[in-house]
Amino acid sequence: MGRFTDEELQRKVQEGFIVESEEDMTETYKRALITQLTVQGDTELISAPAYFMAARDAPSTNTMVSATAIIQDELGHANIAYRLLEDLGVDRHWLLYEREPAHFKHPYGFDQPLMNWAELVSANALYDRAGITLLGDVHRNTSYGPLKRGLVKVSMEENFHLRHGEVWIRRFAEAGGAAKEAVQRTLDWMFPMGVEWFGMPDDRKHHNAQLDFRLKGMTNDQLRRTWLKAVVPLCEELGYDLPAQYDPASDEVELTYELPCQYDPEARRWLYDETITWKQVFERWKARGPMNEQYVDSLRRSRFAVERLLAA
Amino acid sequence: MIRNGRVYEVFARKKRADRFEHVGAVSAPNEQLARVYAWQTYDEAKWFEMTVAPRDAFAAVNRPQAPFTLGAPAGRAAADSR
Ligand SMILES: [Fe+2]
Ligand SMILES: [Fe+2]
Repeated sequence: MGRFTDEELQRKVQEGFIVESEEDMTETYKRALITQLTVQGDTELISAPAYFMAARDAPSTNTMVSATAIIQDELGHANIAYRLLEDLGVDRHWLLYEREPAHFKHPYGFDQPLMNWAELVSANALYDRAGITLLGDVHRNTSYGPLKRGLVKVSMEENFHLRHGEVWIRRFAEAGGAAKEAVQRTLDWMFPMGVEWFGMPDDRKHHNAQLDFRLKGMTNDQLRRTWLKAVVPLCEELGYDLPAQYDPASDEVELTYELPCQYDPEARRWLYDETITWKQVFERWKARGPMNEQYVDSLRRSRFAVERLLAA
Repeated sequence: MIRNGRVYEVFARKKRADRFEHVGAVSAPNEQLARVYAWQTYDEAKWFEMTVAPRDAFAAVNRPQAPFTLGAPAGRAAADSR
């Protein structure tokens, strides 16, 4: 490390320079990259037990196969991110098996239980859409060569997950009645989770190393807007109600509730009437959601059991 | 930082006339498991052929360092900046 200063490297990557080795980096660049990859890897990893919880409710063997194929993809995506972290000197064993569950960096949305098939396919439609929005931007813009290459497979497969979700929420909508109701109930708690997925609004963040070093191309608000413009018109077309409105004339989506907003995880309900601050939201994220420990534990349990068998 | 085993680079091609593409890497305790992990992880295409090689088998030709290597020092603290 140390060929460039932060300012030199920032200028170079804005002009298209691709980082391929450690001596291309600065300490600040490396730290920002490690944070980004940890969020990415943790999100992919925790999606596996979350989706698995709901996949047990698959309505047939065919649907079970498609759900477990998605789970396998996610574990592969996590492996790609953690491998890249390993190359940056981060201990993968520690990442996976030694961190406090509360220190994982995936979004709060993946700390929630996914209880049934309607919730699984809604998550594919909303969360995998959020994944594509974020990672698609990274794929197009990242200045880190190994990550750009790693995301080829990820982008391809995320598109499949998203289609899976959209095809299914359409099926539920066309069936109407209790089927449509099941997805609607899910969207009621899940949609604002997706809105929060993209983090604090831009005017709260003064300085962003990931943008300065071109580890991504779009700001939180730009990414959120991209996601809203994909999700809201589709749900409106399918006849689902969301606390948001798409205006075709301006091609813009407007939320019909006030951000930030408090969530009651026990009741699985957003408390739209309570006024809170972003600081309180940040505290809720940090405290983690109801499934945090169980999801992390489900990835660890037998690992240690087999280790003991092998050592005996 | 690798605790168990080594890093294996994964190469694959879709059909006979194609060039091999570097599709990724896996960490594995031995070559047999590296082959299994590679085949299971990089299943995004119906590959005609896939092969793995240990990362340290690659030698630099025109650059000071062999490809795929960042020459990373060990350390866990880096990822703990929440
Ligand atoms: Fe994924
Ligand atoms: Fe996915």
